[in-house]
Amino acid sequence: MADTPIPLEVRNIKKRFGDTEVLKGLSLEARKGDVITLIGASGSGKSTFLRCMNLLEQPDEGDLIVHGEEIRFKQTKHGREPADWKQVVRMRAKLSMVFQSFNLWSHMTLLENVIEAPIHVLGKPKKEAIEHARALLERVGLTARADAYPAQMSGGQQQRGAIARALAMDPEVMLFDEPTSALDPELVGDVLKVMRDLAVEGRTMVVVTHEMGFARDVSSQVIYLHQGLVEEAGPPQDVLVNPASPRLKQFLAPKY
Amino acid sequence: MLDLHGYGPRLLEGAGVTLQLAVLSLILALALGLLTASAKMSRNWLLHKVATLYTTVIRGVPDLVLMLLLFFGGQMALNIVTDAIYDRTGLDWYVNLNAFAAGVVTIGFIFGAYMGETFRGAFMAVEHGQIEAGKAYGMTPWLVFRRIRFPQMMRHALPGISNNWMVLLKTTALVSVIGLSDMVRVAAEASRATHEPFTFLIPVAAVYLLIASVSEWMFARLQKRYNVGFGGH
Repeated sequence: MADTPIPLEVRNIKKRFGDTEVLKGLSLEARKGDVITLIGASGSGKSTFLRCMNLLEQPDEGDLIVHGEEIRFKQTKHGREPADWKQVVRMRAKLSMVFQSFNLWSHMTLLENVIEAPIHVLGKPKKEAIEHARALLERVGLTARADAYPAQMSGGQQQRGAIARALAMDPEVMLFDEPTSALDPELVGDVLKVMRDLAVEGRTMVVVTHEMGFARDVSSQVIYLHQGLVEEAGPPQDVLVNPASPRLKQFLAPKY
Repeated sequence: MLDLHGYGPRLLEGAGVTLQLAVLSLILALALGLLTASAKMSRNWLLHKVATLYTTVIRGVPDLVLMLLLFFGGQMALNIVTDAIYDRTGLDWYVNLNAFAAGVVTIGFIFGAYMGETFRGAFMAVEHGQIEAGKAYGMTPWLVFRRIRFPQMMRHALPGISNNWMVLLKTTALVSVIGLSDMVRVAAEASRATHEPFTFLIPVAAVYLLIASVSEWMFARLQKRYNVGFGGH
């Protein structure tokens, strides 16, 4: 294990929006096969933390190491920014993100969505990309919708399509930003099933979620955030079953 | 049969001038529009100011005045430059400002400002998540522009572009003031000479209408292409 680089390491991330400090020094280490779930109330900073991991948000402080390569930063008049955007582009191609609102490209069919980045970012031959994409669509149960546009698909189908798009990159780490929060309750199950399968097959994943069942069953580590700090972290049996922090106890208590 | 009193060939030539002028100005206007929109959305302070000054001046001054300013002012500026070159090097490079080029540049600049606003609005209408998904998948800014922002923006921009084009087409009639023989100028001349204004003006109106109808059809096809995936109409 020691000779393969760690897929994703994040150290002491701090981020402020104006006067509010939303992340007050957060760290995380995703080793190969880890499934790390980030939980917490809204406003706890979990999504912002996840978005700092692929630099959709620029952290004001902290280090980011992707597959052993440390991202370099510099100070500009707009704040701290990556010193080398080429490095960022390369690093992002290794971390696929699945968004809360799916964000499939609306002017492309599902198949076109899945082959887009492999062809234009990774430089894969088109034929090979299409074959891979078809296999992935079969995997997420969307073979029949390959030529549909996102607007013609249900939310659950769009999110499973977005997962296929993420898998097409053969990512080191998959980042999930509340992937089921925008779905109707009856559509959540299909998406969670796909994610469970990914976890079982050993994908490295960082998941922001409100699905406690998912967190309990498949996480290797659960991190509970409160106001930009880690309040409690550890294996799900400890954090979710026997929480130490009173705040976490209350967070986990049935709401109704 | 319509008797054009021998003005037929000149009118046809004039129609050619109108069409060429319009198409070339449109290309320039689209290019300037994209640049202006990018400058206005840029966080570079100077670019933003320059673009704002450009759209404010162009949209606030009548087209006719701009055309005369550019034609006569442009010639004076050219003279100053060529005189300076002559004084220093003895090279005599006197250049006469070509009326057609001046027409294209002026109309292109005027409509570049309008196109800029059209494009800016259209770019802002593209959902942010679409762009973010591109970034998150390792696309460079240029790739995001080419593959996502541009095609999605065009859907919002086309109605405005089409509208600007129709106005642009009719604005080409102004070039007669700088001595270009477009079809309006030829028709006006012929009307005065023959005292038969309708003989010439009605065909001219028909030609404008024809160009407008053909472009409307073309824009409808483009709109269909860029609307793909957006459901409904």
